Amino acid sequence: MDALFAIAGKDFVISVSDTASARSIVRMKKNCDKTYKLSSHTLLAVCGEPGDTANFAEYIQGNVRLYSVRNSQDLSPSETANFIRNELAGSMRSRKPYNVNMLVAGVDQNTGAASLYRIDYLAAMAKVPFAAHGYCAYFVYSVMDHEYTEGLTLEQGFDIVKNCLTALKERFIVDFPDFSIKVISTNGTREYDLAEI
Amino acid sequence: MKLRAELAIKCATHESQTESRNHSIMQYNGSAIVAMVGKNCVAIAADKRLGQQALTVDMDFEKVFRMTDRTFIGLSGLAADVKTVHDTLRMRVNLYKHREERVIEPKTMAHLVSHMLYERRFGPYYIEPIIAGLDKDNKPYICATDLIGCLSLPEDFVVTGTASDNLFGMCESLWEPELEPEDLFETISQALLNAVDRDAMSGWGAVVHIITPDGVITRDIKGRMD
Amino acid sequence: MARRYDSRTTIFSPEGRLYQVEYAMEAISHAGTVIGILSKDGIVLAAERQATSNLLEQSIGSEKIYEMNDNVVAGVAGLTADANILINQSRVIAQRYLQRFDSPIPVEHLVRRLCDLKQGYTQFGGLRPFGVSFLCAGWDPTFGFQLYQSDPAGNYSSWKAACIGENYSNAQSILKQEYKDDDSSDAGSNSSNVGSAGTRMTMDDALKLTCVVLSKTIDTAKLTSEKLEFATITLKDDKPYIHIYSSEEIDEVLKKYDSVMKPSED
Repeated sequence: MDALFAIAGKDFVISVSDTASARSIVRMKKNCDKTYKLSSHTLLAVCGEPGDTANFAEYIQGNVRLYSVRNSQDLSPSETANFIRNELAGSMRSRKPYNVNMLVAGVDQNTGAASLYRIDYLAAMAKVPFAAHGYCAYFVYSVMDHEYTEGLTLEQGFDIVKNCLTALKERFIVDFPDFSIKVISTNGTREYDLAEI
Repeated sequence: MKLRAELAIKCATHESQTESRNHSIMQYNGSAIVAMVGKNCVAIAADKRLGQQALTVDMDFEKVFRMTDRTFIGLSGLAADVKTVHDTLRMRVNLYKHREERVIEPKTMAHLVSHMLYERRFGPYYIEPIIAGLDKDNKPYICATDLIGCLSLPEDFVVTGTASDNLFGMCESLWEPELEPEDLFETISQALLNAVDRDAMSGWGAVVHIITPDGVITRDIKGRMD
Repeated sequence: MARRYDSRTTIFSPEGRLYQVEYAMEAISHAGTVIGILSKDGIVLAAERQATSNLLEQSIGSEKIYEMNDNVVAGVAGLTADANILINQSRVIAQRYLQRFDSPIPVEHLVRRLCDLKQGYTQFGGLRPFGVSFLCAGWDPTFGFQLYQSDPAGNYSSWKAACIGENYSNAQSILKQEYKDDDSSDAGSNSSNVGSAGTRMTMDDALKLTCVVLSKTIDTAKLTSEKLEFATITLKDDKPYIHIYSSEEIDEVLKKYDSVMKPSED
């Protein structure tokens, strides 16, 4: 039931995730951050089976940071995404696979180019301009398809996000308490308030 | 092609109940790949869609990979395994290149792929590859395998993916022997585009590679984007 | 005294030395010379094949210079049999990295992994160290062209020009004299520069200097392609391109720089 989507521009990625933590029909927590900072310029957003998401994301976070420490050099977003996919693909054929959907957003520090990778729980990966996971995908994909233009500005990106959230509010049966909106750009990661965008 | 895959799954699982489940794994992401032999040239083409059942997720998904200068492999089936098998195969092909100090031949690569897949006989990669290339004597080579590595070596064309039935029909009526590169391009493009138009799981444009002794011509073609 | 402490690699002598490791290095200093020279736009590697019988079949491939990966080429000094194991290992390491991260392995990463392997054999039970030194020439997008030298103990270091094998100290002093460093940058900001940023050498200069050094270190009347191997790594369409020279191409290079090599004959 999590809502998770992202939009990539030329040198930034906007990542939006809901902040609800639910068990069955009960909302256990209202301010749960479902994103993990992997390095100064890479962000991992997760949704899926609650225990799996946190466990897998922390495992990835640990390993990506370990790489940085060992090699005094960060993994690029594409390397990070491939690494994550590989770990998940390995887990898929194990006794108890992780059930996690992910978005990897990052800016390559060598080229300055932003990229967004969508990885589903089966470990299928695609580099995409925009992406969504879960039920929310059925609502926001049509909005993003309609409004996305190549090389859009941050403001245009925020407009799409606003329209996506409106669509969710209007038509989705689940009522989300709040959304965490993060922007990854060459300057690093910054969180935006709903009112700010 | 499809029949053999089903048979393989049946053998692999020994249960007819899981057959439909496994079968849907092959259809989950959707794909259409075709390869054709021409006169001193071969062509391989694939659609670009990546879906999760009916939901389209990516309209520019790569399914055909250049493994050497003149050998290509197209991987249809489960998208996760497309990537896994490609990455593993690339490792094996590169190691072959460095150890043998020569480039792998299409036929050799086909048997390498076949072995890789049969290694996972009882827990297969859910993909059906097509290999197309020119060998060292510029002789065209195409082949396909099922998901556990059973090779089939036709002399005209091979097809795989969710649109394989449609592709068979198109190829059967459009293909003719001894096509020149440009004619082969036209034939394979028309076959693929018209096949995917009647398949909901594949489409969103296509990519065509024509492998000739002088080099590879790669073209993106637009299809119906709906 | 040595008798008591050199039968096992894992044991220090009372003077704090590891004899087996030192013996391995000694073995290498009698092996065929390998030279590597870094330039602005590539690296030259050259190796000497030591005297072989004319009855021996000339192997088709090279026996001193190997591709470790699409972006790393290595010259070997020492036991070829040992080197084969390490070369194979490094190829597997490089390909595993590619499979895992979908990007070519950084040169230093590969060298370090290889040296970790070598180090293990100076420490763990009853094993003999690898009697091999490498000169690894490679390119990666972050640091550009890089040249690394490694020894049997598992140490590695980065060089602008390096030599291993027979007469290496001789060769190194020539390299030190003749190598054109970028003096202007010494005072400047590039103290942290690794790789090809701080050099004024061109590929031509590097090839020429290689020939000069070879002619002065190899004990022979005339250098021929039979006794030499050459390789370069350069960039082609922004991708690393390794070229291992055929014997005709080596003869061509030797002919081209014949004049600079002659004075050394005295």
